Amino acid sequence: MVRKILHSSSDLASVRKWIQRNKIGYLFILPALLLYAIFFIYPFANAIYLSLTDWNGVDLQKTFVGLNNYIRMVKDKLMWLALSRNAIWVIIGTVVPIAIALILSVLLGGRKTKGRSFFRTVYFMPVVLSLVVVGIIWGWVYNPVFGMLNRVLEVIGLGSLSRGWLGDPKLAIYMVLIAAIWSYLGFCVVILLAGLQNVKVELYDAAKCDGANSWQQLIHVTIPQLYHVLTMIGVYSMINGFHVFDIVFVMTRGGPANSTEVIATYTYKQGFQLNSLGYGSALGMVLAVLSLIVSYIFLKFRERSEV
Amino acid sequence: MKKFIGNNLKYIVLILFAIFAVAPILVMWMAALKSSSEIFKDPFALPTVIHWENLAKAWTFGRFNKYLLNTFIVTLPTVSFVVSLSCMAGYAFGKLKFAGSKLFFYIFLLGLMVPFQAFMIPLYYTVRNLGLFGTYWAMILPETALGLSFGIFLMRAFFRGLPNELMDAARVDGCNEFNVFLKIMLPLTGPAVSTLVVFQFMWTWNSFLIPLLLLHEESLRPIALGLMFYSGHHRTDYGLVAAGVTLASLPVMIIFIIFQRHFIRGLTAGVIKG
Repeated sequence: MVRKILHSSSDLASVRKWIQRNKIGYLFILPALLLYAIFFIYPFANAIYLSLTDWNGVDLQKTFVGLNNYIRMVKDKLMWLALSRNAIWVIIGTVVPIAIALILSVLLGGRKTKGRSFFRTVYFMPVVLSLVVVGIIWGWVYNPVFGMLNRVLEVIGLGSLSRGWLGDPKLAIYMVLIAAIWSYLGFCVVILLAGLQNVKVELYDAAKCDGANSWQQLIHVTIPQLYHVLTMIGVYSMINGFHVFDIVFVMTRGGPANSTEVIATYTYKQGFQLNSLGYGSALGMVLAVLSLIVSYIFLKFRERSEV
Repeated sequence: MKKFIGNNLKYIVLILFAIFAVAPILVMWMAALKSSSEIFKDPFALPTVIHWENLAKAWTFGRFNKYLLNTFIVTLPTVSFVVSLSCMAGYAFGKLKFAGSKLFFYIFLLGLMVPFQAFMIPLYYTVRNLGLFGTYWAMILPETALGLSFGIFLMRAFFRGLPNELMDAARVDGCNEFNVFLKIMLPLTGPAVSTLVVFQFMWTWNSFLIPLLLLHEESLRPIALGLMFYSGHHRTDYGLVAAGVTLASLPVMIIFIIFQRHFIRGLTAGVIKG
């Protein structure tokens, strides 16, 4: 029947031509697309649907509840607490490592600096470690009995500050964040150091002629020249701040007293421990939407600055 | 003294941060060779007697030999799949014209932006319904799928940078489309592929949440996951925990030191083009 219609309207030839023209391209992306569709697109689409249902993961029946999960979320104090932890993570976890990395890479990038590749290698070492390893290592650093942090404080005469760092609900989130920054800093250094290679040396000479000191050179020459690279890692860090899971899960499981609960660990808890799969999916959607918004703003920014 | 500090402030800052970066790792590696009582006494001290038995115990009773083997069994196919599929798709997006290529490329990019946690709940059921639980495939296939976004993004950028004349010349010589890809273009991808291999290797090696969700059997656990459960079981035997951390971190650290050129070049290339 279809064939007949195509024949009669002599579209077949053009269809054939279309297939011929596009076939190779599709064949090349097909294997990737297949895997990607099964393990990303389908589950993601499913997550959108699940977020509109009430399901315990066992029953065959998923009850459609419309936007109820989202309404519940707005009223859920724990959700807001978790989101505020993500906000801390997004802000501090973006600003602090980039600021430190900027200083380190400017120091390393100097024309006369010795041992540049040595320092670069050393700074990058924590980056290659699994976050499970990072979490255990920093669990030791903060250990109240034999932890390195308390020892160091004792040595410099601040022994009175020593405590179980991860047991304090006010401090725990910052302590975990420091561990995360430790494992991320070297990445920023390598990226910024690469960006510095593109900075025009003449501009420094000109700035020096005008009597600019190192600080003014940093603010008026280096940072504007690194604008692209800085926005790139800025966005990358912000997205990471929404996605954070591994290190929190390993170090505190969201405790003590939910003080380190982030949206991702809360999603895990709802989905796999409390068997509230619909609500868990809705929480996951919050993460997806926030990440997409940040990415979109970044792309817009980039387009504008490229014109 | 003041003058010394002033002149060398730069190096003092650089060295302090270098110590900050490596000290926690070194303390952990040293602790692997100590007894628990020594660890309690002074975490920074060198071991007085070297206790190899911590490492031996972690390796056999802690089953790190098994976890390490599992990690290889999962990592090798994942990296090869990601690299080969990304090369093919990256070539198509970078060099071939076909309807909807831009749309498909954006769909692949979506994977870089959507966090894993947003779809992990349905993914769990997808993998279960495909009957993959209890096999290494439960991790290999999703891990590959999630690596494709970055891989395709990287390879597309690389192929776009190659001159079209190469392909045209080969076509004129009667090469079919597959041979243009296989024999002309693929051999040129060395630098991009080595970057992709190194990064995908690191990600898969360190992957934690995917096996936590999808590989339930103890006998299938890769190293990061194995280490987490192991450190939970031996919470108070600090020498053993440190030995586990050492066995999990040393291989990837050695690989980084050997191939660091590729790690750093991969990041650097992205920035300079960026």
